[in-house]
Amino acid sequence: MYYPEPISKLIDSFTKLPGIGPKTAVRLAFFVLNMKEDDVLDFAKALVNAKRELSHCTTCGHITDQDPCAICQDESRNNTVICVVQDPKDVIAMEKMKEFNGRYHVLHGAISPMDGIGPEDINVPSLLTRLKDEEIEELILATNPNIEGEATAMYISRLVKPSGIRITRIAHGLPMGGDLEYADEVTLSKALEGRREL
Amino acid sequence: MYIKDLHLTNYRNYQDLQLSFADKVNVIIGENAQGKTNLMEAIYVLAFSKSYRTSRDKELVQWEQNYAKIKGTVFKRNQTFPMEMQFSTKGKIAKLNHMEQRRLSDYIGALNVVMFAPEDLHLVKGSPQIRRRFIDMEIGQIQPVYIYHLGQYQKIVKQRNHLLKNLQRRQTNDRTMLEVLTEQLIEHAAIIVEKRFVFLDLLRKWAIPIHQGISDDKERLTITYFSSIDVSETAEREKIKTSYQSAFMNNMDKEIERGSTLFGPHRDDLLFFVNDKDVQTYGSQGQQRTTALSLKLAEIELIKSEVGEYPILLLDDVLSELDHYRQSHLLHTIQGKVQTFVSTTSVSDIQHETIQQAELFEVKNGTIIR
Repeated sequence: MYYPEPISKLIDSFTKLPGIGPKTAVRLAFFVLNMKEDDVLDFAKALVNAKRELSHCTTCGHITDQDPCAICQDESRNNTVICVVQDPKDVIAMEKMKEFNGRYHVLHGAISPMDGIGPEDINVPSLLTRLKDEEIEELILATNPNIEGEATAMYISRLVKPSGIRITRIAHGLPMGGDLEYADEVTLSKALEGRREL
Repeated sequence: MYIKDLHLTNYRNYQDLQLSFADKVNVIIGENAQGKTNLMEAIYVLAFSKSYRTSRDKELVQWEQNYAKIKGTVFKRNQTFPMEMQFSTKGKIAKLNHMEQRRLSDYIGALNVVMFAPEDLHLVKGSPQIRRRFIDMEIGQIQPVYIYHLGQYQKIVKQRNHLLKNLQRRQTNDRTMLEVLTEQLIEHAAIIVEKRFVFLDLLRKWAIPIHQGISDDKERLTITYFSSIDVSETAEREKIKTSYQSAFMNNMDKEIERGSTLFGPHRDDLLFFVNDKDVQTYGSQGQQRTTALSLKLAEIELIKSEVGEYPILLLDDVLSELDHYRQSHLLHTIQGKVQTFVSTTSVSDIQHETIQQAELFEVKNGTIIR
């Protein structure tokens, strides 16, 4: 009522973003009004392009502007290892580490019968086809350490086990640089379970 | 341990209430529907982060207000620290010693409370759910990590039941996923059941002599764990796991047919016997009450032995439900040791000295008029 229509539409759009409430939305909208027109245009274009030009890689499921994605096209990477993750953001996190040189497979979710998500609703079938075609020796399951992520990892491992491919699960335990005394009991007991010989 | 003071804001019928308590017995007196039980409930919620009367937190917030707050100062192990529970439309916030606790299992257990309400007299003859809640609550406040396993377990049961329903309706044919969820379920179920066995051993140690005392040596109480599977109470975790594995393996089709998880701690129960007779079915009302009372008194001693200090006891309208003999047995046990909150409509019919020396609070329509 107090705002002219264009700005109230803008406020409404901002509130659709995660972590943005009505007050922040108003502040952002008024900030946009004071921005240079070119910057606003670039911003709007970036938004539209991100949505339009990005798709999922048909091989690994990662977000990409070309198909297959840059990682799948990279000849220097190790073809014998695939790391299975739940989310494209997990690929980025792994890549930042610069330690892993294998391929990825993005599931886009985890199996959860409660939410009506079965194995065929996430990228499990494409993973199985991939395992048949390529020279894979190891499958690293890096799904989240919660009930659904854990169940998804166990499910995939059961399906793949008969093929003889080596299946590993990433370790659970203490964060580096943290203090032992601040760890919660569950994490600590997982860390103890996964202890190793020195 | 004891609660020094309590501050309620927009909580049920209390708009703004501040009280300081005696470290021994506090009697809350008032007519019906004035807010006695609400006050007892507030202390319970402060300890357990949820009510025993409702599962909807929203009911704790006063009408037309958007949040409710319970704040208390607790004295435990020679230290004084604040505890705080806040409820709003956004959910609940638990603060221990000024710091927000994101996991409730880090919060519960800081303040130990034993509640004895008229409903608890049904502990023996009521539904199995009441008895399961009794053990879960008690283990939870002694061993917070139990709450974590219970939470995970309940989530897996929910997932598994959904999958079983899908299999029942032939929406899926995927038994591999069922195997996965069964494996996950057994992992947590075995931990829960093992912890329950250990707890029961402790409970027996206290409850049996107490029961013998109240019944003047005439009654011998036995407590057994009734499991949905065939497993001995002395079994260790691995043994419990194998028992579950064979139960699930042999009954997969039956579970699919029913569309629900048929085995696990959520199906178990406690059985009480007095002189080898099942109290639930054959016990007199008096025997059932004595059993409930023995269990509650045992709980107090058990917490003392595990935590090192006596818990806080809430007696909500329950003294009037007990006869003089059981009343004085109860009051004698807590005398001078346990901070106790007693709610009642009148103190005149309770003759015991403990009550006569108590701090009195009179509640009228959401305020304390003393």
